Amino acid sequence: MTSVPIVADTAVPNPSLLARAIGFFSGPVGLAIKLILLGALNALAIWAIGVLLSEEKWIAALAIAAATLVIDLVYLVPSRRLIPLKFLVPGTVFLVAFVVIPIISNANIALSNWSTGHNLSKDEAIVAIEEVSLVAPADGTTYTATPATKDGELVLLLVDDVDGGLYVGSEDGLEPLPPEAARVDAGAIVAAEGYDVVQGEGLAGIDAALRGLVIPTGGDTFVRAEGLTLAIELQPTLEYDEATDTFTNIETGVVYKDNGEGSYESAAGEALEPGWRTYVGFENFSTILTDPLVRDPFVRVFVWTFSYAFLSVFIQFAIGLFLAIVLNKPDLKLQRIQRAFLVLPFAIPAFLSVLVWQGLLNDEFGVINETLGTSVPWLFDPTWAKVSCILVNVWIGFPYWFLVCTAALQAVPEELTEAARVDGAGPLQVFRRVTLPLLLVVTAPLLIASFAFNFNVFNNIYFLTGGGPYGVEQSVAGSTDILISYTYKLAFSAGQGAQYGLAAAVSIFIFFIVAGISAISFWRTKGLETIR
Amino acid sequence: MLSTRRLRVVAGLAVTAIAAVVAVSSGSSATNQATKLVIWADADRVPAVTQVANAWAAPKGVTVQVVQKNFGDIRSQLNTVAAETAPDVIVGAHDWVGELSANGSVLPLSPSAATKKQFPAYALNSFSYGIAVKKLYGAPVALENIALVTNTALAKVPTSFADMEKQALAAKKKTKAQVGIAVQQGSGGDAYHMYPFFSGLGGYIFGTNAVGNLDPSNIGVANAKFLKNAPLIDRWNKEALIRSQVAWDTGRDLFTKGKVAYYITGPWFLSDIQKSGVKYAISGFPQIVPGIKSVPFLGVQGFMVTKFSAPHGVESLAKDLVANYMMQPSAQLALALSNGRFPANLKAGAQVKDKDLKAFGKASAGGVPMPNIPQMASVWGDLGAAWVRSTKGAGAIPARRSFLGAQKSIAQKIG
Repeated sequence: MTSVPIVADTAVPNPSLLARAIGFFSGPVGLAIKLILLGALNALAIWAIGVLLSEEKWIAALAIAAATLVIDLVYLVPSRRLIPLKFLVPGTVFLVAFVVIPIISNANIALSNWSTGHNLSKDEAIVAIEEVSLVAPADGTTYTATPATKDGELVLLLVDDVDGGLYVGSEDGLEPLPPEAARVDAGAIVAAEGYDVVQGEGLAGIDAALRGLVIPTGGDTFVRAEGLTLAIELQPTLEYDEATDTFTNIETGVVYKDNGEGSYESAAGEALEPGWRTYVGFENFSTILTDPLVRDPFVRVFVWTFSYAFLSVFIQFAIGLFLAIVLNKPDLKLQRIQRAFLVLPFAIPAFLSVLVWQGLLNDEFGVINETLGTSVPWLFDPTWAKVSCILVNVWIGFPYWFLVCTAALQAVPEELTEAARVDGAGPLQVFRRVTLPLLLVVTAPLLIASFAFNFNVFNNIYFLTGGGPYGVEQSVAGSTDILISYTYKLAFSAGQGAQYGLAAAVSIFIFFIVAGISAISFWRTKGLETIR
Repeated sequence: MLSTRRLRVVAGLAVTAIAAVVAVSSGSSATNQATKLVIWADADRVPAVTQVANAWAAPKGVTVQVVQKNFGDIRSQLNTVAAETAPDVIVGAHDWVGELSANGSVLPLSPSAATKKQFPAYALNSFSYGIAVKKLYGAPVALENIALVTNTALAKVPTSFADMEKQALAAKKKTKAQVGIAVQQGSGGDAYHMYPFFSGLGGYIFGTNAVGNLDPSNIGVANAKFLKNAPLIDRWNKEALIRSQVAWDTGRDLFTKGKVAYYITGPWFLSDIQKSGVKYAISGFPQIVPGIKSVPFLGVQGFMVTKFSAPHGVESLAKDLVANYMMQPSAQLALALSNGRFPANLKAGAQVKDKDLKAFGKASAGGVPMPNIPQMASVWGDLGAAWVRSTKGAGAIPARRSFLGAQKSIAQKIG
């Protein structure tokens, strides 16, 4: 272990620190830390598996068990072949957790009908439909109820709200209670012979028994507790048949069948609420392609999104680069302070700047029109609103490019520009032929990433124009809606409120559009690499 | 030697894991023993809800946990919350009821007949929903609506719309303001605040069917009566009586700085108005067209019991709290006044002393509850946008064309 003498490199300050740290953590201390972390991870995994098993989610439980076992083996088994895995496993875990699982779950939602009215499981929906179908019969009675027990069994002591008659309600039905056997106070029975009235803290524990207590009163009507002090007579209007999986209206005989799209529907097309969440295959995708409400604005919104992202990045970059070059002169006075001021817009949270800009751009009351003495409809005219969106986005984004370009300019070798100048190139030529290409090598990947980012800046649109203004013929998408804000509106302000399935499908489209554009751009800019 | 080290490692791991599991499981079993009721409420109401719910819970040995949420988030988060952390009771607005019930997220309530008698019929109706069977899904707590606020130093409370128009324009000339009446809109529009104009010109949103339910296939955004009166909007735009450039903050500033004679707003800006020192009077809206009343939208806020209360084992407790305790006058007064609203319970309402709140209550007469069917989601944006298109000053589109467009697009979205 110590056969080779270490030659101290004087250029590195305090070279022994790293070595000492490695030595310190390689010993029992490191082992202890590793054991504690792995132990905590295992405890977490066992707890999670317990929860998942109790909810009968077998696949997830198995996946966690397998993953934990792999992690334990990688860090405990002393094999040289496993050493690369020690570095690969944590990254892979995070990749799966934060990239792969969200994509899978998004795709999963896109294939479902999850939306307003389709939010429950089918079993929950059946229970809810039965509950909603209960009505108070025309001659139904309401009672003031007092929960009580007899021989450990829960019953209801009831006072008829109309005639004041006293009853005991149990699973066997209603039994009259002799008035002398009960004490009534303020319309409710407070004590009864042979019964233990449930009161005080006892009330907290009877929920399940109370809800399970159905007191038959002849036919299909029954009396049931509503809350703790009230019981009402109810009658179902729909009947569920488990064998055929249908609901039948008891009065009219209309049959509601599972329509395969998460609802019970009658032959006349009337659906029962609520429905349930189910898989509908590629229906959401075909809706995007065929429904005029979705399809018609798509192209218009796509063109605007593309121009918005492209112009934003291009102008941001141009201004950032220009300022970086201007401020790059070494003999400039107050260079640092000037740079700091330019970075300010970048330091303010973007959505705050957007809200401030919204106030500044107001065409009747805004400072900008007031100062310029103009009456430009910044936010109320479709074209000007687009200009405003780009303007604000440029304000938010140019400091980033100023920083990037300032850094990149330092990296352009002085000798090259010097050589170009010696060869007789003017400053513009030096910039175009030497500085810019070298700069683009560094910044091209960032430009593409920034383009992809600006494709999806929801806040900047949502808080500035809200997608508006809307033309007379525009419905879901306004003149400044970009794809992501349009998706949001499609999901939350069309139809009956939330349409998660459809929105997830649109977001998958957006993913492919952005991924496609990025891939093409990266491929095209490969040419720049050869400049090196 | 290696194997003993391995053994130590495995033993150490097992010990830590077992210790942690024991700790986790004992912790969770301890919380399972106490009965806990989780309530979601907005920041303004948290103190009052905590106080009311605790007074109810103490004799029953129930623990109440009030979780603070943004009001609007309660509606959407109820769809996606995990069952373990889900609320048993939520505060909400009446116009959420259609969506929440269609989702099966809230449970029907049956307050006693004696309790129901203490509420105005519209408050209970607006919290009721159902295609075949209409059921009550919330306990109304607070009523809110917008009213006409007059700067009495600049103008008198109007006796007719023509009178209001004249006084507003005279004041506008005097103060050199950009508009005569401050109504908040903004580039996205605000259908809630323009509704008194819309209803006063004959517009409605959904008609009712034979059973008395709102009918989403009968859209009255551009009905014949409204279209006949719609050119008035173009006139108001031309004379700058109203302008959609007025946003929520500019509208408030115009009034509190004494620039406009009239302001259409709700009780939420009362404290700003009082602080400004402007002399004001609150009233209803004058009639615009003979035979048609100009009325505001009515909003009712209240509490609902969620589907999660049953698996949490607190359904009957939650129903007792919401449909019984919270509907009584004393709880109503505490809950409504906590954020400056008029209580829904009539007995509690009779105890309100504040003359401004009473005036807002009076202005609600004849008002229309915001439609609570889920299809309303398709209306807000288009209706607001239609108004903005016609009242944006230069380049405005004639109201007839604009509202016909809105009607078409709403119908298309509802499908």
